[in-house]
Parts: sequence; C-alpha cells; structure tokens
Amino acid sequence: MINEATNIKEPIAVDTTVPVITIKGLYKSFGKDNAVLNGVDLTVRKGENLVVLGKSGSGKSILIKCLVGLVTADTGEIKVFGTDINTLDNNELNAIRVRIGFLFQNSALYDSMTVRENLAFPLKRHSKKLSAEEVEAAVIEALDNVGLPDAVDKMPAELSGGMRKRIGLARTLILKPEIILYDEPTTGLDTITSREISELILAIQKKNKTTSIIITHDMACAKLTGDRLVILKDGVIDAEGNYEALEKSDDEWVRSFFI
Amino acid sequence: MKKESGFTWKLGMFVIIGLILFIGTIYFVGKQKNLFGNTFHLKAQFKTVSGLKEGNHVRFSGINIGTVNGIELITDTSVLVDLIIKKNVQKFIKTDAVARIGYDGLMGDKVLTITPGTGNAKTVGDNALITSKSAVEMADIMNSLKTSVDNAGIITGQLAEVSFKINNGNGALSKLISDDGFSNSIKGTLINLQASTDQFAKFTTNLNNGALSSKLDSTMSNLQSGTKGLSDNMDAVKNSFLLRGYFKKQKKAEAKKKADLKKAADLKKRNTLKDRINLKTKDIPNHSNLNAKDSIKQ
Amino acid sequence: MLISLKNIFVNAGHVTLFTGRFFKEVLRPPFEIKEFLRQCYIIGYKSLPLVAITGFIMGLVLTLQSRPTLAEFGAESWLPGMVALSLIREIAPVITALICAGKIASGIGAELGSMKVTEQIDAMEVSAINPYKYLVVTRVLATTLMIPVLVVFADAIGIYGGYVGVNIHSDLNMFRYFQQVLDSLDFLDIIPATIKTFFFGFFIGLIGCYKGFTAANGTESVGKAANEAVVAASLTIFIIDMLAVQITDLFF
Repeated sequence: MINEATNIKEPIAVDTTVPVITIKGLYKSFGKDNAVLNGVDLTVRKGENLVVLGKSGSGKSILIKCLVGLVTADTGEIKVFGTDINTLDNNELNAIRVRIGFLFQNSALYDSMTVRENLAFPLKRHSKKLSAEEVEAAVIEALDNVGLPDAVDKMPAELSGGMRKRIGLARTLILKPEIILYDEPTTGLDTITSREISELILAIQKKNKTTSIIITHDMACAKLTGDRLVILKDGVIDAEGNYEALEKSDDEWVRSFFI
Repeated sequence: MKKESGFTWKLGMFVIIGLILFIGTIYFVGKQKNLFGNTFHLKAQFKTVSGLKEGNHVRFSGINIGTVNGIELITDTSVLVDLIIKKNVQKFIKTDAVARIGYDGLMGDKVLTITPGTGNAKTVGDNALITSKSAVEMADIMNSLKTSVDNAGIITGQLAEVSFKINNGNGALSKLISDDGFSNSIKGTLINLQASTDQFAKFTTNLNNGALSSKLDSTMSNLQSGTKGLSDNMDAVKNSFLLRGYFKKQKKAEAKKKADLKKAADLKKRNTLKDRINLKTKDIPNHSNLNAKDSIKQ
Repeated sequence: MLISLKNIFVNAGHVTLFTGRFFKEVLRPPFEIKEFLRQCYIIGYKSLPLVAITGFIMGLVLTLQSRPTLAEFGAESWLPGMVALSLIREIAPVITALICAGKIASGIGAELGSMKVTEQIDAMEVSAINPYKYLVVTRVLATTLMIPVLVVFADAIGIYGGYVGVNIHSDLNMFRYFQQVLDSLDFLDIIPATIKTFFFGFFIGLIGCYKGFTAANGTESVGKAANEAVVAASLTIFIIDMLAVQITDLFF
C-alpha cells in the first residue's frame, strides 16, 4: 500500500496480515430514530494510516469514540489488540486506553495547567516509577518531537490553534501509544499549518510505527497522510480504497469529496 | 515546585488557624462546664429540685465553683443530684455544708447554692452526700406576696375611711385640723396658763413671805378662772397628743403600703419579661457570674 | 406531565448514582493528593476574604439591630451572648454556605462544564485517568473539609464584629466581651452547627461537580451549569439547615 502520488511519502512497511482493530456490525443510535452507525465493518492493519471521510454528522467521531470506550456501542464487536472492548471492565479498558492515543478536535488541553503539567499529567499517573528529572526529560523530548520546545511554561490559553494541536499531539505521544486516533487534526487551521500537522502525523507514523485512524474533511491532509481511505455514508462504510482509486471512482457521490 | 510551596504554606496556615480557633472554643467552653481540669463530685438529696437542670451552676459563697452533673430519681419522693466541683474549693466545703436550690437572675434559671458549714467540721470527701434544705418554690413566694398585698389592701381601705371621717366629720379632731381659731385659742390658753402660773409663783413667794392673806381672795378667784380654762384646754391638749400618735401610725402604714406596692410591681415586671423574651434562659450571661469568675481567678 | 415526572426520577437517579460513585471512589487508591490540596487552597484560602468581610458585617449588623430590643428590657448585657449564639448556631454557617454556593459551586460548575464541553474530561478518560477521581472527588472532599473551616473563621470574625458593634454604644473591654460570649456557649450550640457545615460543604461541592460534569455540549451549557449549580446548592443549603435544626431539636 504505497501511495506513489505523494513525493514526500516514502514506502512504509505495513504489515497487512495483522489486524490491530477489527470492527464488526457496529450499531449506535441516540434516541429512537437517530441511528448514527448502522453496521460498520472495518479492519485497520498494523502500521497503516486509515483516513475516514464523511459528511458532518455521519458518525465518524462516534466511531473512534467507540474504539476507546468513550461511547458504548449498542451492538457490534470492537476488537482492539484482539480483545473485545465491550467485554472489559474498567481496569482492563484502561489498560487498553493507555496503548491508544486520542487527539481531540480542539486539542482538549487542560486549561488550568501549564504545557509542562499537561504533558506530565498522564505520564505521572501511568509511569509512577519515573523521577522528576525523567518526567521533565520526557516532556522536553515530546515537545521537541512536535517542534515546540519553547512552549513548556506557557498556559494553553496563550497558544495559537496550531500550537495547541501540536501540544495535544505531544501529550498523546508521551505515553508512546501503538494506535493514534486523530479527530479532525487540521480543522480550523490555515493551509500551511494544516500541512505542517499532516507532515507531523506522517513523521510520527514513520518514527513510532504507530497505527492511526485519521478523521478529516481536509482532502490535502487525507491525501498526504492516508494509506487507505474509507467513506462513511448513512452509518455504513460506503467506499474504500486509496486516494487515487477513490478519486477516480464511478460513484459521483464519492468523487464529490475530491473536488 | 516554587509555585506549589507558595500555596501550600498559605493553605496550611489557613487550616491551622481555623483548627486552633475551633479547638480553642471547644476547650474554653469545656472549661466553663468543668469537663477538664481537677474536679471532685458531691451529692445532695432533695425532695424536689424545682426544675434544676444538668449544667446549672453550683455556687459557694456566691462564687461559681462547678456545675450540676446529673439528676436522678431514687425514690418517688427523693432526687439525687450529682455535682462536679473544682478541686481547689474542696477544702472550704465542710461536712455540715448545706445545699439549697435558688434562683439565678431574673429569668428563673436555677442555681444550686452551697452554704458553708461551721469551721470546726471536717472537709468533705469525694462523692460525699451533703445535707440539703428544700428549695423555696416560686409558688410559695407568690402566695406570701399575695397575702401581704391583700393585707395592704385592707389597711389602705381602713385608712381611707379614717381620713374621710377626719376631713368631713365634726369631732374635735377635725376641728383641730380645720379650725384656725381653735388652735389660736389653745395658744392663748397656754399663754394665759403661763401668766397664771407666774402669778401663782409670785403668790407662793408672797405666801412664803407671809401676811398676804388679804390678797389671797383675789388670787383664789384668779386661780379659779385659770383652772377652769385649764380644764377646757386640757381636753384639747390630750387630743393633740392623740393626734400625734395617730399621725405616726398613719405614716407607718403608708410606708408599708408603698413597699408592698413596689414589690408587686417588680413581680409583675418580672413575669412580663419572662413571657416576652423567648431566649434560652441559661444562655444569658450574668454579670454577677462574671464578677464571681474574675474574683475566683484572682 | 408523565414525561416530566419521569425526567425528575431520571435526574434523581443520576444524582444518586453520581453521589454513590463519590463514596466508591473516595476510598479507592490512587489518591490525587496534590490536586486535593490545590483545590483546598482555592476553595478555602481564596474564599477567606469574602467570608471574612461577610462575617464581620453580619456580626456588626446583628449587634446593632438587636440592641434596641434588648435595651427595652434593660438586658443589654445579654448582647454578646445573644450575638455569639445566633452567629454560631445559624447565621455564620448559613451565610458562609450561601456565599460559597455563589462562589464555589458556580466556579466548579463552570470549570467542569467548560472542561466537559472542550472534551478535556474525555481526554482524561481516554488517557486512562479517572476524571471523576481527579476532578470530582478532590473538589467535593475539599469543599466538605474547607467550608467548616471557613465557617469557624466566619464565627470568629463575626463575633469580633459583634464586639465592635457593642463598643459603638457602650464601652466593654475585649477580654470581658469574649468571656461573656464563651459563658453563653454550650457544646450543644457548637457541635450540631459544626456537623451541619460538613453537609453544606459536601453538597456545595457535589452539586457544583454534578452540574458541571453532566453539562451538555455547547458553550451555552457552561453558563447554565454554573447557574443551576448556584440555585440548586443554595436551595439545598436551606433544606439541610431545616433538617439539621429539626434533628437537633429532636434529640436534644
């Protein structure tokens, strides 16, 4: 699965044989007549970047929130690292959650903490043995990875949208997750910053060998980061393929995304 | 880390001052109730405790020395009262001290007073039973007060009758008070009397000097007229003495009446106060308590 | 009608579960001690000036207002005792709790509400940190323990305000004033009033957290959460106060 159309993207070893996430027949509805997910079947393989496209309100965010147990599915099986997360108790679920990173749409930085505290917050709670120096080193390293080592003592309110995204990403990365879920990583950013974020996503995939699901409306980002794209329509997977294949799809509706 | 310690000490200070205030209040209130410090117990047995409550003060020579700790019915006619008393006054309380239940202040809060015994008796021991005198009930006070008020009523009624008679009657007494001429005539009589006695003295000297019998006749007739006036006036004088006695009595009765009325008024005021204030009576600080406490500290 | 009744039950159920979760989580490690201390600092220390001013004014005003009535009976010497009793038994706890409902419950409601809306609570959850433990347990514990301390301060400052009030019209030295105050106090005046304040604190924190934690999505709901938290907390304070007085009356 090598995307030859992008000149930045280098071949990445995607182990197509090992599914990291398997979703089968996922249903979720809010209220009686408001079905959001109507039987989603999806497999994400180890090391790949899967881009999920779809109209606003098509249930993309719900889909990834189901993966980490933020939203409980009505029916359906969600296997992450081979275990069905619907059958887990809180502690087991938390053990899975530590291995999954989640980048929220608005970065969800903790307003009351400095950038340093934001980054150290999950780290201190999951790696208790770390000394203060080790935590500090990890924080600096994570900030270096996203290119913002100077922001360490700033409050989130002092940061721009792009910086917040990067700090959010750094906070996600600090636990060294195997899967990263991106909820609209480039929304609300200018094209240049969007591109920087997209490149960052690629760099992370390369460096950390992570598996990612990227939800986006930004086709530039999808083109740059996606190894494989799926399109959600009416709560089911409507189309699947790489960027070029979908761009040349027979279905006009699918093609309308690429204009 | 610097920032963290910045708030920690403020928080610590805040909490510690709060705790000190709280514990301090608890301690002082407890001290007030003699829960802390050296104390000993005394017991006294009463027929009735007239509403004495646990926590009421115990007074010895007017000083607060402790509190009532417990009240317990032991038979159908006797109540055992347990007192907690400061250890340092134990040496002053003798075995023949007497416990009594009285009133503390206007509001009818009860207080147990211990009257010192004679100096010869031994000091009381812990948990000793001291003798007690039955309490003066409010009802008794009211009863005796009512009797005196009734008596005062009768007396004033009679007094009014007498004074009416004096003012409007025609007796010698009323004449004496109302008629100016009458008193003038008494004065005249007295002057006459003096003159006649002077004459009498002269007469006696003359008599002593002898050979004045010729003048005796005229003197005798003078004397006769003098004694006639005297007998008339003697009545008046007698009445005047009577009158003085009368006035004295009247004055005394009036003073008594005044005192009784004042007592009754006080009582009334006390009762209205009781009705109108809905305060917990025991909560009311008493100046005399304070004074007592000050002095005990000294 | 039926639906609104059902909604009331559903809400009551949610509140009960939320409360139950507090007791479950409060005893289970790990404990967020640092955050708890930080909340204590914010809730306790930072509210002190407000509580102090209110307490002082309450003591002063109460003294000035009670004086004429007491003077009518010639009982001005009861003033210190009366003021201290009313402050400790009723006024300081309730006024402090109401002030804190306004300041703390709304603050917590708005803070947690905005965290909910901006997905910060979700972010904690997905990074396998229990947001309930970190946000709710620490705050509820902090209010439960700090409100009583604030009330003690309000009592003390209020009684001092009473001292100033007494001295406007007459001359009473400080030592004697406080002795009269202490003289009029009983454990029965202090202990139930103090126990009551723990409940005030607990419910101020719990209601603030509940309203914030269950805020809907959208910025408007943050304001709504803060507002509802103040209203519900104030109402709850009065209800608890009534119950507390009834219970105290019943047993003593």
